[in-house]
Amino acid sequence: MTDAGAQTLNTMEDSSKEEYKIHSFDPETQKLLKTALKDPGLVDLEAVSNIIVDQSLKDQAFSKEAGRMCFTIVQAEAKQNNSSMFRSHLLNRLQKEFKSREQMRKRSILEWVCYVSFICNIFDYLKVNNMPMMVLVHPLYDCLMRLAQPDALKNEEEVDCLVLQLHRIGDQLEKVNADRMDELFFLLRDGFLLRDGLSSLTRLLLLEILEFRAGDWSLSDAAHKYYYSEVHD
Amino acid sequence: MLSGDLIVDGRHRAKARAFSNSPQLSVSPSAPYQQAMSSRYKHCADSDYRTEENRNKRQRWSHCRKRDADGNVRRSRDESETHTSDGRGSNRPECFTTPESAGPMSRIRDWAEEVENDEMRTSVRRDIERYRRRILTGDSVQRERKMSSGSSDSRDSRDSPVPGDIETDETVLMRRQKQINYGKNTLAYDRYVKEVPKHLRKPGLHPRTPNKFKKYSRRSWDQQIKLWKVKLHAWDPPADEGSDLQAVDLGEVMDFELDVECSVDPDPEASSSKSSSSSLFPEVDLLRDSGTPHKMMKIDEAEMA
Repeated sequence: MTDAGAQTLNTMEDSSKEEYKIHSFDPETQKLLKTALKDPGLVDLEAVSNIIVDQSLKDQAFSKEAGRMCFTIVQAEAKQNNSSMFRSHLLNRLQKEFKSREQMRKRSILEWVCYVSFICNIFDYLKVNNMPMMVLVHPLYDCLMRLAQPDALKNEEEVDCLVLQLHRIGDQLEKVNADRMDELFFLLRDGFLLRDGLSSLTRLLLLEILEFRAGDWSLSDAAHKYYYSEVHD
Repeated sequence: MLSGDLIVDGRHRAKARAFSNSPQLSVSPSAPYQQAMSSRYKHCADSDYRTEENRNKRQRWSHCRKRDADGNVRRSRDESETHTSDGRGSNRPECFTTPESAGPMSRIRDWAEEVENDEMRTSVRRDIERYRRRILTGDSVQRERKMSSGSSDSRDSRDSPVPGDIETDETVLMRRQKQINYGKNTLAYDRYVKEVPKHLRKPGLHPRTPNKFKKYSRRSWDQQIKLWKVKLHAWDPPADEGSDLQAVDLGEVMDFELDVECSVDPDPEASSSKSSSSSLFPEVDLLRDSGTPHKMMKIDEAEMA
């Protein structure tokens, strides 16, 4: 009883303390999202999941952080109702988008990059009994492999997205499926060594991620200095 | 050889017919659907056939589910499972391959459903470990309040089995957990938990969640679940609040009785209570008025079995 009470208090504190990037929504939607975060039983969670996904597909900054918000809603719903409607709606929508990802990429690189960034963020934040959602592992690899194809490597937005995702969840993905990570890095290595016409930034990013993985998903101090000294200056 | 096939086929057909006759199916299967089913039955092994049975049950239970109210349509699993005939399977699970080519019959399984199953599987595994530890350490009374999911089976010492007697088959446990979850996912259960605090519950009088870790025959377990559900109906919301819900629930209660009659060991008690069911909820009245409902004896019998 007291435990539960304290926990509820904690979550309430957390959600009021933590900043979710929802100021770009209209007031009505902001209210809906705030309710979803605190009292998910009161709102249409399918609508909420669609709002979050829609925004993620438009707004790159949002797509990189929306996972945390989804995590809070999932937690709140589990505690309140012992159910997971929100997560189901979210995954259904992500699966739907996944099926048409090639059209999405043709339609808009931004949307595609946002999608990958969002689904990776979801994978990073939402765990099931402390385990990653295994059902997402192959789809994530499919997305990342797509970003490592020759035509995508010519596109700095896609390369940027690819290396960012690998920095964030590369180690987790490798733990659950190392073979596909090898496959992915063969592509990256070949891309770096054999492709003509890559921009120097792309080559730098690729080289860094190769070194990052080779160093067991971290950069040595020297390597860090090598890649980032100019940024710091 | 040939006759064996026929037998299998015949049994499944009979089952399929039973399906279409059963009144509680919310969606009456259309002809092509049935055809697809029976052709599938020819290939499927006994385990599939069991899943089918379970699925049927789940559909029935879903009638009184409270949390689908937000308009979420539960997908029929049959649609998503018809992809098996395609021989394209490499070493990768079919759900991850060729999403673009998904025609009318998608080969991708449902991500959401997959995650739900994973969640249940890992919970069940965790529960087994806890249950083992609890039995081994022997303190069955103190700890169990803290156990989170499913097994809220409070237990007197008579109930604690020796460690070797635990049901550890994951498919069995998952199936049981699903049944328990469907029972708990009702308004009646919420009301019950709120109105009767755990320490005030009397064995026999109040519904008690069946213990999924004990070894029971399939029939005994299903019977326990049914009786548990029937008892929980005593906490259904008042009839005037949601008449729709009540109508469905009544159908379900009657259905339980029918099932009891069909079982090998027909209980005269049950059929008599059914025939005298001029009142809306015979069992409910029984529970509310008399302190010792007849049902309680049956639960105990089932548990001893």
